[in-house]
This record gives sequence, structure tokens and C-alpha cells, in this order.
Amino acid sequence: MAAAGMGRSTRGVGEGESLVSYLNPLRLHFAGSFEAAVSTVNNDPVHFDNTRFQPSYAEPATGTALNGSFNPRGSGDWRLHDCQVTSAFLADGAPAPGTDPVLACAVADSDDRAPAKLVDLDPEQQLVSQIFAFELRIAMASGATLLRGEFAPAAFMDLWDRARAVPASGPGAGDVAAGAMYQSVLTRVRWGDVSGSPFLRALRRASGARLSVKFNVDGFGKAPGDDFLRGRVVGTIGPAAPGEPRHFVAGRQFMAAPGAGGHFFVPAGGVNFCAAAVDHAARRVYLDLGNALPTSVPGGAPADLGDLALHSAGGVAPLGVLPAARYTDPGWYPATAGVAVFPPDRPLTGAELAAVSAGPLALAAAPSDQGPVVISEPDTGLFVRADQFVYRLNPGESAEVPLFATRFGQPYAEAGVVTVPVPEQLQPNSPLAPGQAPPVAVPADALRYPARVVTDKRGKARLRLRAADPGRPRDYIDGQVYALCPVLEPVIVSPGDPYPFNQWNFVSVLVWSGFAPDEPLTWHGCIEPVLRQYGNLYPVMRDFLDLGDYEQVCAHAERLADQFSRGIDDPGSMPVTRDLSAAKREALVRWLTKPGDDGKPLLGEPRQPAAPAPPLPEPDRQVPVQGKAAAASRRPAAQRRTRLTGGTR
Amino acid sequence: MIVIHPKVSGLLERGGVPGLREALQTAVELEHAVIPPYLYALYSLVPGDNSAAAEIIRSVVNEEMLHLTLAANLLNAVGGRPVLDAPDVLPRYPGPLPGTVADGLVVGLAPFSVPLVRDTFMAIEEPEHPEDYGPEPAMPAREPLTIGQFYRQIRTTIEGLGEGVFTGKRDRQVTTGFLPGAIAVTGVASASQAIDTIIDQGEGTRTSPWDGTDVAHYYRFAEIVHGRRLIRFPPEQRWAYLGDPIIVDPAGIRDVPVNPTLAGYPAGSAAQRACRSFNYTYTTLLKALHATFNGTPGKLRSAIDIMSSLQQQALDMMAGTTTHGVPAGPSFEWQPTD
Repeated sequence: MAAAGMGRSTRGVGEGESLVSYLNPLRLHFAGSFEAAVSTVNNDPVHFDNTRFQPSYAEPATGTALNGSFNPRGSGDWRLHDCQVTSAFLADGAPAPGTDPVLACAVADSDDRAPAKLVDLDPEQQLVSQIFAFELRIAMASGATLLRGEFAPAAFMDLWDRARAVPASGPGAGDVAAGAMYQSVLTRVRWGDVSGSPFLRALRRASGARLSVKFNVDGFGKAPGDDFLRGRVVGTIGPAAPGEPRHFVAGRQFMAAPGAGGHFFVPAGGVNFCAAAVDHAARRVYLDLGNALPTSVPGGAPADLGDLALHSAGGVAPLGVLPAARYTDPGWYPATAGVAVFPPDRPLTGAELAAVSAGPLALAAAPSDQGPVVISEPDTGLFVRADQFVYRLNPGESAEVPLFATRFGQPYAEAGVVTVPVPEQLQPNSPLAPGQAPPVAVPADALRYPARVVTDKRGKARLRLRAADPGRPRDYIDGQVYALCPVLEPVIVSPGDPYPFNQWNFVSVLVWSGFAPDEPLTWHGCIEPVLRQYGNLYPVMRDFLDLGDYEQVCAHAERLADQFSRGIDDPGSMPVTRDLSAAKREALVRWLTKPGDDGKPLLGEPRQPAAPAPPLPEPDRQVPVQGKAAAASRRPAAQRRTRLTGGTR
Repeated sequence: MIVIHPKVSGLLERGGVPGLREALQTAVELEHAVIPPYLYALYSLVPGDNSAAAEIIRSVVNEEMLHLTLAANLLNAVGGRPVLDAPDVLPRYPGPLPGTVADGLVVGLAPFSVPLVRDTFMAIEEPEHPEDYGPEPAMPAREPLTIGQFYRQIRTTIEGLGEGVFTGKRDRQVTTGFLPGAIAVTGVASASQAIDTIIDQGEGTRTSPWDGTDVAHYYRFAEIVHGRRLIRFPPEQRWAYLGDPIIVDPAGIRDVPVNPTLAGYPAGSAAQRACRSFNYTYTTLLKALHATFNGTPGKLRSAIDIMSSLQQQALDMMAGTTTHGVPAGPSFEWQPTD
């Protein structure tokens, strides 16, 4: 291992202190369905080109025409359906009493506002879809709300090919077989009358105004049918502490080695990236396998990998075994959200606890507990991650990316972290016009950041991103998209000896172009192209108005001005796609609210129309896999099958 | 025509301030209850087809939203508390509208048709004497009431109680640019103005179908039935259905069910799921409107967002987009969790 930048472990949260995050003895699990009514016209970068946009792009794909992919009428709505609390556990690990009313509650989205929205960062970075404006609540069947809180916007992580028994191509392939997870915090938590619920009383005492939530999604139905746009969601809610990461567990990090094939990620050992937390007080290990165990069919029970035994590095006997008969039972996953407790029936001994703290944990699968390791922590236990990993920046803005470094779950202090561009994770390609999508990550100097930062004594560092005006490197797509990967210096090793690495562990940044509107603002000036593009890419708006029609826009000016003024966290924020710069939104609102003498926003003089570009021909072939699987396959990283080996290449 | 229940009339005659509040709560429920049948018919029209009929219904719905707001403002002005967030506020379709007699007009959820407009929508909005626009007849106490007469009786009651009845807080009044005509009710004069707006837009004035900006709802619906716009005809400026044609193309109407219920859809079907999801959003809208009319007028913005979501969900259901290709309709039932 390289000596440069060697850090040190320090005592911190988790060692002899109360556990925090959802991965906690005090937690509830829930299971049900989600709906992701994503809008798919903007899945192809060339659809952003107003001059070549065809009405057919607003139609669903057919057997031979790509059109607007599988759901062009998508609203972007993100919803929960039929989600029920399936179990709850108190701080001592005991199940909540069967009379606790929380066990009969629903986990629901807001009953107070329009549905939450699921939004891609960019047509050339579709693999960090974020949920905005999501209020989550725990409610009785009557609708009485026992708690509600705001889900801090989060993107999915640890995307993988979860279901095994699916074809590699055709309608059943790709996203249908995928799994991923979301982790965030609920802020501004408001409590209803929880006096009747021992569990919720305990949760309120432990956590108050903030909670930790994590849920796994899979089995997304992309083909027309009863499950169209719906999938399975199974998750966990527990306490949160202010200093801990919002979007991952600063615990023990199990790293999957990449296997062959797949659309997203196939773990060589069958088990996907996952995290564990060690409860030193209760002497237990909580391992979250919720997004880590493969299924045979999309949305089905976990597949049989054999009994799963958790080992510590120095231990002879396993710390505990999760029998295959248990986790393959159809009731296990909904009831546990995949959280397994080791040992299941006793506390760890002092010697076991010491071994757990000193070295890597590993999960082995076999008919016997001597079977092969399916996933483990790296030998050194080193890990670094950006907590928030998706950013939108206007020129001149900056953001501080919170980095957390850990070693076997403990803060890793005074460690150097270098940041490496990983543009190969972006998707500069077009299904309709291969080779014609605009380039990504150029100019490189429009996004600036320090080459190296050092973690503090709590293992934390802040990576300051500064955005400059990238110009118009993508012509008809505003701004530019970048991908950056923070890497701990001690793990930079030779390419022949790669350090275990999660390909999804990087930071995505959209930097908008500078925008100097013509003055006065007029429809024929800078307004029409912006609204027309939005109308093209979000055809469901035509239920309300044609954004390419001046008179209709004027008739809805007050409402449009209101919605273009809303914050990105508001469910009514326009554009729904959240991909318009502050400068353009400001110009739109100013234009809409400053009418001329006729009472309407200024029309201006028509410009000389540009000669229309020839339409792009539909490729003469069967429509390939769509959705996230298509985006994932367009990454240079997937095409080259490369992976980061220390981050210096 | 619809007939207001004598019990409601009695509240206004003898109930004092509590009776007035109860009658105004009935008005709130009544104004709300006519909207789902109108919307159901509107959404059954294929977007882009039958646009004249669609525009007529849409314009009426927008004004019914205004009437709901004005009824809530009236109730707030007299110290009442409008209730919209309870399951018993929702009418059952098919059934009588809130506050009306049980053996009178039955209103349901049905796709657009000319008979629906003629027999139901026009009946809801019908003045007591639709054929002539003469002076209001003396109103015997026990005679059945139309909606317009009901509101006139409310006005009479308010005038009788005087300015002292306006004990409500001003900050509960909902006024917004999104609903032109939504005035704050603070006294007898503004109450009278709000009531005139409701009556005139619904039934027309006593002398004309014209409400000041458009023909009243009753006559707007009649335009669909007659297939022509109602225009003033020279030289005597008489009104006649001789304007531009309003053509209804049956091919542009979705074949959606009549009076659907959540329980009536096959269990676990996409249609049932979509219906349930719609109903949850609809219940969310009622809660948002309840908040709007109970001290947080700014919540109206959120309510309008929710209405847009409802529209899209209904259109997708009726087009079969979210219902596995089978045209389905929302049932507008109370659904507090989903």
C-alpha cells in the first residue's frame, strides 16, 4: 500500500455509543409498491434539438420505431402505493408489541400536495435519478397521520442486475430486472398522536425532528400491463443524527467484485454492495442485504445462494448464519427489508467483538459455513464517499461536497483524498442517432475543484466545486455534465492490483451555460426556443397548453410565472425536469410578468427562420433495450468494461 | 331542475346564525358535488376533439370552483368553518346532490353525451323560469327551491341578520388572481355581490342569459344541446341559438364506464390501481381545499397543482394509458391512504 497520505482511525460514532441511521435496532420495515411515471422523451439527447424534433417523438415506441421510448406521457410523478409497515423493533432489539398501532399503519406519500417527482440529472447522465418534493408519512388506515417528514432529495445508488432469470434483450430485459436503493433523511418531522404506539414514542425520543430512511426498488414494470410503471419498494425507517451522512451508512462497507455481463452491474459473488453497522453496546452486527440479494424473477423472493454466514477476519467460527430457508421465504424480505442481525440469538463475545473491530467482515455462502466468500470488506477497510453526489450549478456558483472517509466503519482522519474525473460513467450517446450526441465533460475547466483534500479528525472533508460558464459545448442542450470520483490516497495502487471499488460511487454535476437574454425580452427573441424545447420534451403539458404557442402561453401567464418561480423542492416547480438554469427561469418569469400595452407578454419581431434540419431517420432495426439499461449501456465505462484501479489513469 | 330540500330552506328561515352557517356548508358541499360529474364528462372527450363542447364544460367547471370559493368565503364571513376534508362531504354517485330532495334529480358520473348535458347538467343549472327572463316571482315559503332561489334566500337571510353577522376573520377570505371574481366577503354588500356572481353565472340574470362576460351555465349547456352558440340576433337583439355550430363527434368520446366504483374494478387490475391512486389524489385535493378555506389561503396554489395532477391521471385512465389499454374512469371516492 502506498504510504502517502496515510490516515488513521479515530474513535467515533458507533464505537461504544448509540448507533444512528436506519440500520439500527430501533427501526421499522415497510413493503409495498412504488410508481415512477417517468417522462421518457428526454431520454435521447438529440430530442433536445428543436430544429430536428418530430411529433413522433411524443409517441410511445413501437416494435421498430424508437419514438419517445416507453412512456412519453410521463408526468415524472413518484408515488407510493399499498405500502404497509411490516415489522418494528425497539431499541433493545425486541419486536414492538403486536398491539402497537404502528404495525397496522401505511407508509404513504403526501396527502397535502401534488405528487413527488422523479427526475434525471441530464440526458447524458440518467443514472442518478432523484426524488424531489417527497413527503413521507406513517398513517393509520383512517388517514390519521402519526408522523410526516420531508424526504431530502436523493438519487438512487447501487444500481444492479438484480433478477437473474430474465432474458438479456427484449421487453423483459434491462430495467425490469434492475434493483437500486435510495437513502436519505426525513427532515422537519412532525409527529401526530403517537401516545398509543410504544415504537413511535421510542423513535421520537431517539430522533426528534430527523429520521433516516432507506428503501430498495426493483421489479419495475415497463411494458404495458397491470404493473406498468410500478415496482416493488421495501424499506426501513430509523433514527438519524445531525452529524452523520444523510445518504449512506458510515459503517462497514461490503464491496462487490464485478462479474461478467448485465446491463448495470453483476456482482461476481452474486451479492451486491451493502453496508453493516456494529452495535457495540448490544454486541450485534446489523447487515443490510435489502439491495444485495439477487432474486430469480423481478420483484420476487431472494434466490437461494445457500446459507449465508458472517465471518470476521480472525474468527474461526462464523458470527452467525442466515439460513437459506429463511431468506428465500417469500415473507422474509418484506418483513425485514433484508436487514439481518448477527448473531441472531446471542450477543457477540468480547473476543468476537474485538475481531469484528480489527479486520474485515466477509459473507460466505454454502451448504456449510466453510463455503466461498460471496462479498467482503476490503482488507484495509478503507472507504470514502461523497454524501450528496448530484449537483446542479449555475455559472459562478459553488458547492461543498461532503466527503466521509472511514476505516472499518470508524472515521478515518488526516487522510488525503484526490478527485479524479470519470467521464466514462456519463452517457454521451443517442439511441436514435448513434455517434451524434453532444460531448460530455468539456471544457474541463468549467468545473474547478482542489486536486487533493485532507479529512479532519472526524474523517470528514469538504470538496469545494466551483462552476464557471462552460459556454455551449452541447449546442442545443444547456450546460455541461461532469463526473468526479473521490479516491483515498492510500488505496491508489497499481492497475494490476485494483482496490475494490463501487463504480457508482462518484459525483455528478450539471453546470449550466451562461445566459444573456435579449432586452427587452420577447417571445420571438429568447423565450420561444426555451418554452418550445420544454414542450417538446414534456408532452403531457399539452393537456394544459402548447408551450410553443404564444397565445396559449399568454393565456396561462400567471400560472406559468408562479410555477417557474418555485424552488426545485416544490412539486409544482417548472420545468418538472429541473434542467433549466436560474438565469433562464428568471428571464421567463420576468417576461411573463411584464406585459406590454396589449396586456400580454411581449411578442417581438419574428426572426429569419433557420432552415429546418433534416429529420433523423429511424434506424432500420428492432428497438433495443430502453430506459436506464439503455443509458447504462451507452457509458464508455460499460463499453470498455473498464473500472477504476486507484483512480490515477 | 334540482330541488333544494325544505329542511335546508327551513334552516334559513328559522335557524338564525347557526342555521345560516349550516345552509352555507350545504352550499359548499353542493358547489363541490357538481364538479366531479362535469369533470368526468369533460375528461371523456378525446383531447383536441369536440373542443367547443370541452371548452364550454371547462369554463363552467372553472366558475364552479369560483362558486365553491365564494360559498366558503360567505361561510367564513359569518363565522363558520367550511368542511371539505371528511368522507361524508363527498356525494355518492349516482345520487341526489347535497341539500337536495332524495326523489329529485339523480346525478352520476358518465361520459359526455348530449342527453347527459340536457337531462342532468342543464337540470342542475336550471333557473326557476328558464323560458322567460321576467321578474322574480314571489317565493312561497314551502315551494321547492332551485339553486338560484336557494342563494336568494341566503341573501335575504343575511340582509335580515345585518352587518352584525359578519364575525369571521378577514384573513380566512380567499381571493386570488387564479379565480377572477373571488372577492372577500366582509359585509352585506360584498355578500350580496358574491351571491349575485354565483346566481348570474349559473342561471343568468332575471332579464338575460348574459352574466356580464358570458352566457350563464344553463344556456352554455343548452348551446351543446342545440348545437349552436346562443347569440343576440338583430334587429331586436333577441337571443337565439343561431350562432356558430357546436358539433359533437361521437368518435371523440371515450367509452368509459358509467358510475364506476373502486370496488367495481377487478381486484388488483391496473384500472383499480389507477382509480385508487386518483381517489387518493382527489382526497388530497379536498384536504388542501379544506386548509385553503380554513385559514391558509395560500394553500390554493398547492390545490391547483393537485387539480392538474388529477386531470392528467383521469385523462390517462380514460385513454387506457395507465389501465392496460382498457378505458376506465375515476370514481371520486374518499381514499385517505394509498
